[in-house]
Amino acid sequence: MAVTEPKGHGQHAGMWVFPDAAVMTQDVGEKTKAMPRPFTTALAVTGIFFILGIVGFIARAVDDGFDDIAPWGYYMAIFSMVFMVTSGAPLVALAFRFTKSHWRRPLSRVAELFSIVGILNLLMFIPLMFLLPGIANPDAVIEGELAVRRTIWFEGPIGAPHAWDLVGVAFLTITSLTILWISAKPDMAECRDTATGFRRWLYNYLAGNWYGTKRQWNAQKAGLALLGAFYFMTLIFMHFVISSDYAQSLIPGWKDSIFPVIYTITSLQMSLGAILVVLFIMRRWGGYEGYIGKSTFWSASKVLLGVTLLWVYHLFAFFITFWYGRLEIEQNVIKYLVTDTYAIIFLLNLIFSFAAPFAVLLWNPVRRSAWGPALAGVLVLFGGLMFNIRIFVGSANAAPGAELYKAFMEHVPAPVYPDIWDVFMVVGGLGAAVFLYLAATKLMPLISIWEVKEGTLYQKWGKFIRGEYLILGKPE
Amino acid sequence: MAKSPILGLFETADNAADAGDALKAAGVSPADYDFLTDTPYPEGAFGEREEPHRLYLFPFIGALIGLTVGIMLTSMTQMAYPLAQGGKPILSLPPMAVVTYESTMLTAIIFTIIGIVFESRLPAFKEGLYDTRITEGYIGVLVNVEESELTQTQTLLTQAGAVDVVLKAERISA
Repeated sequence: MAVTEPKGHGQHAGMWVFPDAAVMTQDVGEKTKAMPRPFTTALAVTGIFFILGIVGFIARAVDDGFDDIAPWGYYMAIFSMVFMVTSGAPLVALAFRFTKSHWRRPLSRVAELFSIVGILNLLMFIPLMFLLPGIANPDAVIEGELAVRRTIWFEGPIGAPHAWDLVGVAFLTITSLTILWISAKPDMAECRDTATGFRRWLYNYLAGNWYGTKRQWNAQKAGLALLGAFYFMTLIFMHFVISSDYAQSLIPGWKDSIFPVIYTITSLQMSLGAILVVLFIMRRWGGYEGYIGKSTFWSASKVLLGVTLLWVYHLFAFFITFWYGRLEIEQNVIKYLVTDTYAIIFLLNLIFSFAAPFAVLLWNPVRRSAWGPALAGVLVLFGGLMFNIRIFVGSANAAPGAELYKAFMEHVPAPVYPDIWDVFMVVGGLGAAVFLYLAATKLMPLISIWEVKEGTLYQKWGKFIRGEYLILGKPE
Repeated sequence: MAKSPILGLFETADNAADAGDALKAAGVSPADYDFLTDTPYPEGAFGEREEPHRLYLFPFIGALIGLTVGIMLTSMTQMAYPLAQGGKPILSLPPMAVVTYESTMLTAIIFTIIGIVFESRLPAFKEGLYDTRITEGYIGVLVNVEESELTQTQTLLTQAGAVDVVLKAERISA
């Protein structure tokens, strides 16, 4: 493609790129069509993992059925991992779009494409709906047991919690897919004349009526703003619901207002990390270096550093409250999830969600590189996996049978190690998510063409006194 | 008499804005011409008319319906199956908040999606006049005029600097 040399001098060398708007549509369209060998290999490998995951799921279902949630702890963990990344990613695009930052332009579509993986979330959630124990105690209530276990649903309105949880996850998926559709419509319309086969049919079907009139641009802008706000409000709510129903409510007596916040922060941290990893791969091996300057990594890395510090602050706030409270349940929760049963997993979680990315992102030269923030992204993703295993495997196995209806967890349970089917499901869940994302990149342009083009209207490289600098226009 | 579309293609935004001025001066109603672009230009860049929309009304109505349904569902459930918990009143706001919040969000989202479809004038079953050069950064000025005024409008667009003028089935190079 016709691009100028990356701009910037001194420590900011290569920071900004200025793509040629005239050839962008054709160039990105060709990149979307291309199937290079490394890509097909990655697709095949993740496809095999996906199949392994299905095998693991079927084997687990045959072995243990859907009556007891305990054997499904690792499945819950991998569902939550995928859910946290894919639900948080569209919010990253929306949040940076709200702030009207220019550096986010190449990042928007990369983030929004995670919405397609949200379909996997929805499918993975259906078995979890059946696995979640009812709120009402099914047996005769004996001393020390509760008639209704403690959840956010209190007396249990119609369908709670199962139907409301499923509807919530479904609507989150639908909203994020609608956001992707609205955002990608101009790009699909631009590519509809050059695309062939299935892509041409899809673009005509989804964007055949888009011509780029003022009314359409205004409706798109307002639609993205409104749906973005609702997505944010629904996402926070669903993080609260999932972390309460599938974690806190399964450990009798665990009452913690900070945990849903940690859950959301971990989600935002992981999704930003995943976006940075994808951006790095696109820039390094995908041929998109003309569209993604280092400024995107530099700016996003500061946000990632902030979220990482926020994560450890909330972890400390959770710990100190329970440690200082010293009620029996509080001590048991700390022993179970932090210091004894899952101590090693907690340590890995702490290292990879905080210590390691903090150590990487602390350094200015590393933040200004493309690889530094991407490396931090890989670290926080692993840390997030440890977080989910610690919390959800722990929650699923905390109170077997009738113990779930006790007032609090009286003993500290032993750890549950994964068997072969658990390993299959964890690897398969991750593989399925990557497989779907890779497939999605061949359906829709991986760069938000209209947004990058809009950026070229407002950014130019100009002289000021003796130096040359980036000049930004702010029309709003 | 039905109006026919005519599309002028301009290499620069300045020329497209000039065409807009010329159309205005020729007495063409602002509702009869539009600027087709591959990216959103800032408000008023072409001297075009304001395009009001009522999208904000849709989520408001949706949220109101969801809120009402949520309050009714939770209060009626609690009154039909009264469960006194820890001395709390049968109708108390905290347990109602969770379901009410979710139902409000859901209907607000549904109505917003309907609003976007409506405000974008979707679905459009008739193919509009378009040129792929708009994807290369050209600006399209789409004018709807009486058939008798097509030649005059074509001249006007060409004089304003159109590099090409496209009619329904034919293309006339400037």
